[in-house]
Amino acid sequence: MEDSTDLVALAGNPNSGKTTLFNALTGSAAKVGNYAGVTVDIKRGETRTPHGAVLEIIDLPGTYSLEGGSPDQQIAREVLSGKHDRVPRPSLVICVLDASNLERHLQLALEVIELEIPIVIALNMVDLAEKTGIRLDPVKLAEELGVPVVPMQADKGKGIVELKQAMRHPFPAAPDEIGWEKGDAESRRAFGLSTSDLSARRPTAHTSTLSDKLDRVLLHPVWGWFFFIGIFFALFWSIFSWAGIPMGWIESAQEFLIGKVEGLMSEGDFRDLITQGILGGVGAVVIFLPQILMLFFFIGLLESSGYMSRAAFLMDGFMAKVGLSGKAFLPLLSSFACAIPGVMATRTIDSAKERLVTIFVAPWMSCSARLPVYLLLVPMLLGGREGGAKQALFFLGIYVLGTLTAFAVARILRGRLGPDEVESHFMLELPPYRLPQWNYIFRHVLDRGWAFLRKAGTTILGIMILLWAATTYPKLDSEDPGEVLSHTIVGRISDTIEPLVKPMGFDGRTGTAILTSFAAREVFVGSMAQLFQIEESDDEDETRGRIRDRLAAETWADGKPMFTMPAVLALLIFYIYALQCLPTSAVVAREAGSWKWAVGQFVFMTVFAAVAALLVYQVGTFFSS
Amino acid sequence: MSHPTVKELESDSLQSLSQAQVGCDFQIQFVEGPACEQLRNLGFCESLQVRKLANGRNLVCSVCGTRVALSSDLADQVKVSPLAPALS
Repeated sequence: MEDSTDLVALAGNPNSGKTTLFNALTGSAAKVGNYAGVTVDIKRGETRTPHGAVLEIIDLPGTYSLEGGSPDQQIAREVLSGKHDRVPRPSLVICVLDASNLERHLQLALEVIELEIPIVIALNMVDLAEKTGIRLDPVKLAEELGVPVVPMQADKGKGIVELKQAMRHPFPAAPDEIGWEKGDAESRRAFGLSTSDLSARRPTAHTSTLSDKLDRVLLHPVWGWFFFIGIFFALFWSIFSWAGIPMGWIESAQEFLIGKVEGLMSEGDFRDLITQGILGGVGAVVIFLPQILMLFFFIGLLESSGYMSRAAFLMDGFMAKVGLSGKAFLPLLSSFACAIPGVMATRTIDSAKERLVTIFVAPWMSCSARLPVYLLLVPMLLGGREGGAKQALFFLGIYVLGTLTAFAVARILRGRLGPDEVESHFMLELPPYRLPQWNYIFRHVLDRGWAFLRKAGTTILGIMILLWAATTYPKLDSEDPGEVLSHTIVGRISDTIEPLVKPMGFDGRTGTAILTSFAAREVFVGSMAQLFQIEESDDEDETRGRIRDRLAAETWADGKPMFTMPAVLALLIFYIYALQCLPTSAVVAREAGSWKWAVGQFVFMTVFAAVAALLVYQVGTFFSS
Repeated sequence: MSHPTVKELESDSLQSLSQAQVGCDFQIQFVEGPACEQLRNLGFCESLQVRKLANGRNLVCSVCGTRVALSSDLADQVKVSPLAPALS
């Protein structure tokens, strides 16, 4: 099949449903959301036409026009005009148009038609358009434009077969004649408006939709904030109170496995490696899987329903005070799940300098990898059990602290970078509220869960084995466990770094646990479990509870308690601020276009974290003594 | 769509979208200013109808069936005239 690798590009305005169509065509689970700018890079996949020909599909970032715009829109423009260095010019373009908003979406289609590439129009969201009273006439539209038009509902899978039929060879040729003057924006616009008036006639009366009514409350200067805070508090509260049940299951499974291994194997180093190093260390991290899944689920829910752009709208005034705009809020919010997609999402920001600043501060939004550490430490501060409104409030406080510091630094940095060459303004589409696309949310959540487990099975497992070896060898014949530990490699590292971390209230072992977590933050919990020799037992008690009890009982050589309130606070502060994630630094280097930014960010955040921890411990100790 | 004449522009009925009253429908007469292309891409084209939904630092309006939030300095670049009340 000589035509088996024909390239088909999906183009369209932001939030026209390109990615939903991409997923429907290729069977993949690329991230979709109900706000402009979910797709910031080119995604690839394959599909088959009804005749069996394989087509390569690329999903381009959304763009309003092929002229001007932000980095993600430039990509779309370069590909369609055949000027992209990595992607050849597509053989066919599927232009995805939102039928409920044809006046605007048609403009891009007309620009693509001018490029004289074969084009098929996917007239998406016809259900929404008809619901708002628009009288659609796809046949008239096809006649006016001279290109095939396929009405469809990509999210329900309607019209996909018809679209695939239209994608077969020979591809529909670009129209010989166009009804407007080529290259003349004004003539093109007038043609687009009259065509959409003919093929998608709007009812004359403006009807107030459900979205209008919801927005009256959710964007209200007072009530809007009330709901904003309420929604985010409910989100944190449910993450911390509901996850307890599945966490208990994972814990029971872990204890069951440890019991089994201990029953089957005779005592020795190898059994210790499996029970303490692998099952104990990795298990201490895997236990947080439910929380991480829930965080991704809720963020997916916010994105899919359309609330995200409302949050950006509300935050714009606040963001302007720190020199950013509401558009920077979306990348920052998704950084709460993980900084990597957050940093990528900054591509939707028009201003280059605002984008750099947003990239710089994004890792201060507490990501899901920090959760295990917070969950270990917070109950130590508040005393007692996990869960409950008090802890949820404290957690919210941790997230607010990270965010406020990020804003403060953004303000200083933005001031130093100076104004942009081109002034940019706040302009954001507020999509209609929609019911979440459950299948995509669940697939996305499962993907993230799998990614987390893979990390636990590779990076975290590797570090746990290394750490186990370093806490076991070289061996010393002694009955005193403390003496044995100080003879090992870790013991020696601990002794070396203890003077460095002691002013922050940590001993050498905590210092070593922090060192190991520079590879991945979650490692900290497993490392602490190993370094403080937490015994795994068969009973149903919680492992974290045991780590906490052990830490609370830990003392310095002079008998003073080690994990005092200021010391735990200092540890918490360190984890809020430190950048301990190599993949984030790699993405920052790529997105900012230089390693200097990534290295500068790493050094700055680490020093900041250490100084903040030092201050908290010293001041806290001064006041509590 | 031809641009309105100078006389029309000076008529009292013309105002910027940022000054326009919330809850009313308007017709866009012309878009002028540094960001006019951006605005047109978002659907703020001459002769189209726009409804202003909320005021503030950023105002919310509905154009071509889409709700759009835009800063007031952008809204200053959109000149509108009130739609004639329905005949009935």
